[in-house]
Amino acid sequence: MQGFIKKIAEYTREAVDAANYLAQGLAVTFDHMRRRPVTVQYPYEKLIPSERYRGRIHYEFDKCIACEVCVRVCPINLPVVDWVMNKETKKKELRNYSIDFGACIFCGNCVEYCPTNCLSMTEEYEMAAFDRHSLNYDNVALGRLPTSVTSDPSVQPLRELGYLPKGVMDPHNVPASEPRAGHLPNEILEWMKENPKDQTEKELNKINN
Amino acid sequence: MLTSNSLNQTFAIANSGLDLEFSFTKAMEGVGLSPEIAHILWLPLPMALVLVAAVVGVLVTVWLERKISAAAQQRIGPEYAGALGILQPMADGLKLLVKEDIIPARADTWLFTLGPVLVLVPVILSWLIVPFGQKLLISNVGIGIFLWISLSSIQPIGLLMSGYASNNKYSLLGGLRAAAQSISYEIPLALSVLAIVMMSNSLSTVDIVNQQNTIGLLSWNIWRQPVGFIIFWICALAECERLPFDLPEAEEELVAGYQTEYAGMKFALFYLGSYINLVLSALLVSILYLGGWGFPIPIEWIASWVGQDPNAPSIELLTGSLGIIMTILKAYLLVFLAILLRWTTPRVRIDQLLDLGWKFLLPISLVNLLVTAGLKLIFPSAFGG
Repeated sequence: MQGFIKKIAEYTREAVDAANYLAQGLAVTFDHMRRRPVTVQYPYEKLIPSERYRGRIHYEFDKCIACEVCVRVCPINLPVVDWVMNKETKKKELRNYSIDFGACIFCGNCVEYCPTNCLSMTEEYEMAAFDRHSLNYDNVALGRLPTSVTSDPSVQPLRELGYLPKGVMDPHNVPASEPRAGHLPNEILEWMKENPKDQTEKELNKINN
Repeated sequence: MLTSNSLNQTFAIANSGLDLEFSFTKAMEGVGLSPEIAHILWLPLPMALVLVAAVVGVLVTVWLERKISAAAQQRIGPEYAGALGILQPMADGLKLLVKEDIIPARADTWLFTLGPVLVLVPVILSWLIVPFGQKLLISNVGIGIFLWISLSSIQPIGLLMSGYASNNKYSLLGGLRAAAQSISYEIPLALSVLAIVMMSNSLSTVDIVNQQNTIGLLSWNIWRQPVGFIIFWICALAECERLPFDLPEAEEELVAGYQTEYAGMKFALFYLGSYINLVLSALLVSILYLGGWGFPIPIEWIASWVGQDPNAPSIELLTGSLGIIMTILKAYLLVFLAILLRWTTPRVRIDQLLDLGWKFLLPISLVNLLVTAGLKLIFPSAFGG
């Protein structure tokens, strides 16, 4: 009899526990309904790519000296530099330059090492094509500039999370004049110029510690 | 039965409520028709109205389901079809309507077609007994709630039929699971309803609601039958195959269960059926446990405080509309709870499901019934002796 009652008590406690956990779970779900979505409704809305965004590579034909550094630093030797030696001037003559973005991993090594800065990375990332061969960009295609998200009239540009004011999660309805959280390096420099040196050092120590 | 009749009469004297049929018959007689013809003209009206109400209820529920699910997951949900995506279920339905109606090559054509019909028809038929007011229902059947229980046990036959006829192992497994689930949850469901019936001395849904609305909120059955309420709600969710119990269509294991081979309008019938069933279950919970059309404070009291005659036509109209709103409000609160539960609880396994049904809910509902009987003998005034 004692054992039976004990069993029933245990069973009841388990059932009550289960109900309790269920209620806790419901509370969590209910609480989540308070959190508003931060959905970016692509393609009507687009995030503004950050300053160092590594998008499609831009290439300036006239600056290029056909040194092939980009080919050497590329993990898969992707850029195709088509040049011939001009016997008379004893100089390389560039005829064509192409990068296949179907194979490129956008690591940016070529941009980093280019001695004449003829390569740079753009903010373009919408490169979908029906045929993968059309992803092989020649020097004309590489020379095109992408449309900026901010200048496209059909797109509502939205700031990324890191560019929003402090405490703001939703990029919608944030005025463009509102500054991002923290300070830019030039702002910090300005501030250091305005303040005496030992005081700024104290402040910096405070920040660092 | 005698007591219920006398109860009915006392209520009829106290407040007959909005009686549309009576007004309609009177108006027809005014035009010069005999009462018999007026009655025949009247008959299809509430049926059509309830059918439309059920379908609109489903559209709203589908929309709510999608919007609330989205809110719980920090998404936006349907947005472009109509204001706030309210027309999304309509667009879904229209798409299913014009889709090709495919019957698999080696399926049993007859059973395959009959399955979804057999699932949907009993559910729609059950709306017969759902009261939105004293006289606002299609038919005040004496065996009301029992009719619903017996109709809902036709459903597993349809599910099994469509699962078997699809000639697909996933469909068959889904159909078998659905049948097993429906059968095992029918019993605790019926037992918890029986406890209610015992207290109100009637199977009629109108009597059940009337018996709960003597002193407003405090006289609702949920206070006298808290255990029964929980059992009924769990079983109703299981009958509707809602999320903690959606094993028959568990997409990770069974593709879509018995619905796997269905497309187009036949699939839409299943879809419609499941949502009508959800709304119906929510309505029945609000009728059986939450006082149906009753306002938390009895309308008669408010009317007497304000100094109005509760039987005046304008007050009657107000009471009637308030009753409809209250019924729907309570039902949709429960639908909201079901949607919340959907995103909270993980799916149970088939063995856990049957364990819960047979080893937990069944004994508890039996004990609940016994306790109710005992309480009814001890406190006949509070438990409807």
